[in-house]
Amino acid sequence: DSHIQYERVGADVTMKCGSMDWDAAVTWMANGTDIDDSHLNGSYLILKNVDLTQSGQYFCYEGSSWHLKYQTILRVGVPPKEPVLMCRSNNYPKGFYCSWHLPSPTYIPNTFNISVIHGTREMVCEKDVFPKNRCHIRYLQLFSTVKYKVTLTVTNALGKNSTSLTFDEFAIVKPDPPESVVAKPVPNNPRRLEVSWQNPSSWPDPESFPLKFFLRYRPLILDQWQHVELSDGTSHTITDAYAGKEYIIQVAAKDNDIGTWSDWSVAVHATPWTEEPKHLTTEVQITETTSTSTSSFMPPPTTKICDKGAG
Amino acid sequence: LGAGQSIQKTYDLTRYLEHQLRTLAGTYLNYLGPPFNEPDFNPPRLARAERVPSATVDLDLWRGLTDNARLAANYRAYSRLLCYLRGLDGQVGAVELRHRLGHFCSSLQGLVLSIAGVMSSLGYPLPAGPAGPPLPPGSSAAPNDFLKKMDDFWLLKELQTWLWRSAKDFNRLKKKVPPAVVTLRLETRGF
Amino acid sequence: GLVQSCGHIIPESPVLALGSNFTALCILNESCLDFGNIYASQIIWKIKNKVVPKEQYREINRTVSSVTFNDTSSLATPLTCNVLADGQIEQNIYGISVTVGLPPEKPKNLSCIVYQVSKLTYPMKCTWNPGRHTFLDTHFRLKYRWSRESFPDCIPKYVNNSCTISDVQFFVNLEVWVEAANALGKAESDRLVFDPIEIVKPLPPHNLSVNSGILPTVLKLSWENRISAAVMKLKFNIRYRISSDTNWMQVPPEDIASPRTSFSIQGLRPYTEYVFSIRCMKEDGVGFWSDWSEEKVGVTTED
Repeated sequence: DSHIQYERVGADVTMKCGSMDWDAAVTWMANGTDIDDSHLNGSYLILKNVDLTQSGQYFCYEGSSWHLKYQTILRVGVPPKEPVLMCRSNNYPKGFYCSWHLPSPTYIPNTFNISVIHGTREMVCEKDVFPKNRCHIRYLQLFSTVKYKVTLTVTNALGKNSTSLTFDEFAIVKPDPPESVVAKPVPNNPRRLEVSWQNPSSWPDPESFPLKFFLRYRPLILDQWQHVELSDGTSHTITDAYAGKEYIIQVAAKDNDIGTWSDWSVAVHATPWTEEPKHLTTEVQITETTSTSTSSFMPPPTTKICDKGAG
Repeated sequence: LGAGQSIQKTYDLTRYLEHQLRTLAGTYLNYLGPPFNEPDFNPPRLARAERVPSATVDLDLWRGLTDNARLAANYRAYSRLLCYLRGLDGQVGAVELRHRLGHFCSSLQGLVLSIAGVMSSLGYPLPAGPAGPPLPPGSSAAPNDFLKKMDDFWLLKELQTWLWRSAKDFNRLKKKVPPAVVTLRLETRGF
Repeated sequence: GLVQSCGHIIPESPVLALGSNFTALCILNESCLDFGNIYASQIIWKIKNKVVPKEQYREINRTVSSVTFNDTSSLATPLTCNVLADGQIEQNIYGISVTVGLPPEKPKNLSCIVYQVSKLTYPMKCTWNPGRHTFLDTHFRLKYRWSRESFPDCIPKYVNNSCTISDVQFFVNLEVWVEAANALGKAESDRLVFDPIEIVKPLPPHNLSVNSGILPTVLKLSWENRISAAVMKLKFNIRYRISSDTNWMQVPPEDIASPRTSFSIQGLRPYTEYVFSIRCMKEDGVGFWSDWSEEKVGVTTED
């Protein structure tokens, strides 16, 4: 059976044809195609400054008998760069997960090893089946002032690298975005939109660990968002929506006391309630509507309070 | 005040203290200067700093705490933290910082009293035991200035963590003892 | 003449309640009797330099004479004890100052307001009605305490009807009362019990900005709140007027009854300059409205 030979991109590779002498007549094939003699030095195969495309299966046959004298799988790759490691608690206080990725591919298999130290105690990071590059740690203790240290080591045939994170328990608390966001017009209210949502299902105990929310909304015709922070409840009524304009609305969540804001939720769209257009039948009605419309820009039915400067 | 109301007030006070401490701790650590004000500073916790009551608790144990035990743990912790904190505010050079520390100590004292009020409204006895530690780390026990600052660093960090824990504690209690339906408007209120 | 003191009056420098009765005794020294051939019967009481009618005198014994006033309002300083010695020469024996006044009344209408002065500083000013003038040196003290902790009294300066506690604590019920005291007695106001968070007058929002949107009838007002959500959640009033007009219009309060930092005002007249102002208070309506903010101008776009 053939073994796997790993070589760095750019390396010079020399392959011997098994036990054949240097001056023996041989034929080299790569992935089923002959390799021309320019790559041979006697019976040795010389591959200069290899690149990724030269990965593959290599066979060496004795010249006359075509007996297979040597085969190997060449895997051209690179050693791993420092991996990117992220730890986050989206289900506080159950635990936290760490996930990682390599900033650039190595083209060859890598193995990851993670260690989680809390003070003097090593904690188990249970690997998730999916996604692969992730494992999770169960909190045994809460409200700790001792930092967690997570060290990730990545190894492949061409090298090894590692990174580590040191953090406080509270610093990595970041819920998932709120779910089931719904926005609805409010009948007879041309400037209101009712928005409701639910706690992220991954947040295990909203009773003891209540979330607060940030709601942002803007008409599609504008780029600038308006924001409202809400510290209890999972609904809000927007009261200054532009009449008749479609709105885009998103919500984010955060533990009431600790950690950071979640990402924004999925965006929902809604348009405030508008009056049904009247069916115009006669000339009179048109003029009447026109006069009504000219008065429509009159200020809304608001209280005229007092003269200028009155308190 | 009914139990529900005083728990709500204690919860609000806890969050108010946590809000105050966030800026105060930053100012104080800047006052201590590097490396204490660097985000990743992670000094060892020496014996003296170990005396500061730790908020760390086993998760399942914390969940299973009775209301009495939960309140008593808070009461004992803040009674001792207050003593340590008063050790801090005595020798701060900056007048403004000392004033803010003094105000914070007074707020913390208010929290201790609030917790005591909740306990008595629920019919729980106040925990006995020393009101304060025999040798607060804030005192001259630290052999040198750097170690003294390290003790202060851990005191503030533990206090911050306790306030986060207490917010969760009182939130849990709030859910179990809702405020009285009718809020008693005290007639003597003259405004 | 008589060099050494030949007697004294008791009580010494009394403070007397207006309208009450008062008796003073003038006690002659034995030594003087022999020397000056003076007797209590020869004593003449005077207020300032006016002789007190003899009917108010009483000779207690050879050396003691008393004088009684049924209503102290006629009294003044000094009250002197004099004697007509050697026939016709009147000689002063002793004199006292007499202070007449009233005990303090129970201070009334005690009320307090927490005036936010900065993001972190919340002095509480309490005012009260000190009651009638007492004609006496009367001291007022604002006293306040938690259920198990007292604080140093707040001593008013230059006034007797208000005092300001420099930095009050929130979320702990405070018991507050006023104590008035003078030589004639002490009086206490009714006691207020409240959480200072319920009597806050916050600073108005600031850093207002007005943005004209794409719609000619809409302007968006943005601002910064100066009180942290950890202290209190706010609701708002927004008023606006056309620059050339004096009548203010108001955004319906129910539309701005929850924490926010911006609001789009609609239904405006295109291509018109408007003036905006905003104020805030605690969301649940407990406490006081802030002052109105600085005014900010914005112009709607053309139609």
